[in-house]
Amino acid sequence: MTNEAIIQLKDIDVTFHNKGQTVEAVKKVSLTVERGDIYGVVGYSGAGKSTLVRVINRLQRPTAGSVEVSGQDILALNPRELRTARTKIGMIFQHFNLMASRTIADNVGYPLKGRLSRDERKKKVAHLLDLVGLSEKAEDYPAQLSGGQKQRVAIARALANDPEILISDEATSALDPKTTSSILELLKRLNKELGLTVVLITHEMEAVKEICNKVAVMEAGEIIERGDLVTIFSRPEKPLTQDFINTATQINQALEKIFRQAATLNLSESQQLVQLQYVGASTDAPLITELYKRYGVVSNILYGNVEILQDTPLGNLIVVMSGEPDKLAAAWQYCQDAGINITHLNPNDSEVA
Amino acid sequence: MNLLAKYFPNAVTMKGDFLQATGETLYMTAITAIVAGIIGMAIGIGLIVTQPGGILENRVVYNILDKLVNLCRSIPFVILLAVIAPLTRIIVGTAIGTTAAIVPLVIGSAPFYARQIQNALAEVDHGVVEAAESVGSGPIAIIFRVYLKEGLPDIIRSSVLTLISLIDLTAMAGAIGGGGLGNLAINVGYSRFETDVTVMAMLIILVIVFAIQLIGDLLARRVDHTA
Repeated sequence: MTNEAIIQLKDIDVTFHNKGQTVEAVKKVSLTVERGDIYGVVGYSGAGKSTLVRVINRLQRPTAGSVEVSGQDILALNPRELRTARTKIGMIFQHFNLMASRTIADNVGYPLKGRLSRDERKKKVAHLLDLVGLSEKAEDYPAQLSGGQKQRVAIARALANDPEILISDEATSALDPKTTSSILELLKRLNKELGLTVVLITHEMEAVKEICNKVAVMEAGEIIERGDLVTIFSRPEKPLTQDFINTATQINQALEKIFRQAATLNLSESQQLVQLQYVGASTDAPLITELYKRYGVVSNILYGNVEILQDTPLGNLIVVMSGEPDKLAAAWQYCQDAGINITHLNPNDSEVA
Repeated sequence: MNLLAKYFPNAVTMKGDFLQATGETLYMTAITAIVAGIIGMAIGIGLIVTQPGGILENRVVYNILDKLVNLCRSIPFVILLAVIAPLTRIIVGTAIGTTAAIVPLVIGSAPFYARQIQNALAEVDHGVVEAAESVGSGPIAIIFRVYLKEGLPDIIRSSVLTLISLIDLTAMAGAIGGGGLGNLAINVGYSRFETDVTVMAMLIILVIVFAIQLIGDLLARRVDHTA
């Protein structure tokens, strides 16, 4: 993978003035996306992530900052040049935004009118519909399609101009989980086969987990944490990031149940409730057995989960460790030396780790 | 035929007058519909694209158009007929007659149509406009290939509404010298106490209105693919 930056946002500010109120939707955000990335931007609604990515194709003009896409200063373009630049930046939306008055084929062919001859257009539309698996729906109207199919049509339309970048603005948020997966898979395939750079905005870390190689977390108009997917998932620093990840890996749900039973667990002095987290190679070591063999520490597994992120396993275990206090301390040290992230969980803490 | 003679004793003897009056009404309606249609459409599109958040946002143009439409719409048509007479004389050469009636009819109906078009186009999903912008469409393409295409079912429905209210206006214009069925109904039927003439004129207008409504509904249903 080359390290060529395809999108460079620098110190972007977006401020809205509405009825005397000033809203700073995006504050001093810089973001670099490299060619071939699937870059996830995660945040709750109102975090400013949509506003930020709309700056990329200037659907939103930033109040301050600079925008460079494929080496072109987007903010310096005149309307005509901007339209040409936009053809290289495809975009898909939460509500698909298809034209109800046009057939599927005409929707997909819309961007090509005036650019290709009738025959070329027909060929291209057929190819695009084949790419997204909707060839047999060409003459239908959008109203006859399911949500997932509509989004596939929108993707085909966004690809009509052979863009280098695809911006996905909450494109899976209106879809059920199974359809979401299939759309994400399609995006991943397009990324691999066409070398398409994808910027994926979402409020669901699950979507990011499935396909992104990099992720930025946004809160109140700022990027609070960013990095490659495995690093962010294994070593999240900000509470919001941890919260997103724990929801995605379903640890939050597990902890909630465990904490509810905590009273019945009746932890004694010689017992500890801990969360073990390990990345990559350390997943293979028979940790629980080692702890018993070396220190006589017994681990009762309450919850376990392994995620494969970008071909790297990321494991999570919630266990109750029992043993002599000094043995427990030694076991603790052993885990840390083995590169395992170990944290003590306090059931009386209502706040989930 | 006997039944007709029994209930419409005066009207049956005026076949020629009715044919001519119907022709005048249709003439006034058609010419006004074309002229006011073009003007109203242009103003309606102008309002949509220059409105705050529109694709060619322009506060000054929007306010001028908006105020102009409001001004023209707030003048009652009967008064407009009289007020506009000097202007009509300049444009057509006379303030009386079927052709002269077209001037106030255009001024009376174009702003109404502009509002109808504005409302119809406002129904076009902003997201669709945005999607078109994102693939590189310019303002002209968005107006013709998104707004007018996507808004077509509503445009047809509001055109029908405008056309029907236009027929209403032609009847009023007719009453003060424009000719047509309105003239026949008032100046002959009402003034001479020949009620059957008035009723006959009304029935013919009803038929025209029903026909327009029927054709409009069929067309709108044909181009509407939303359900």
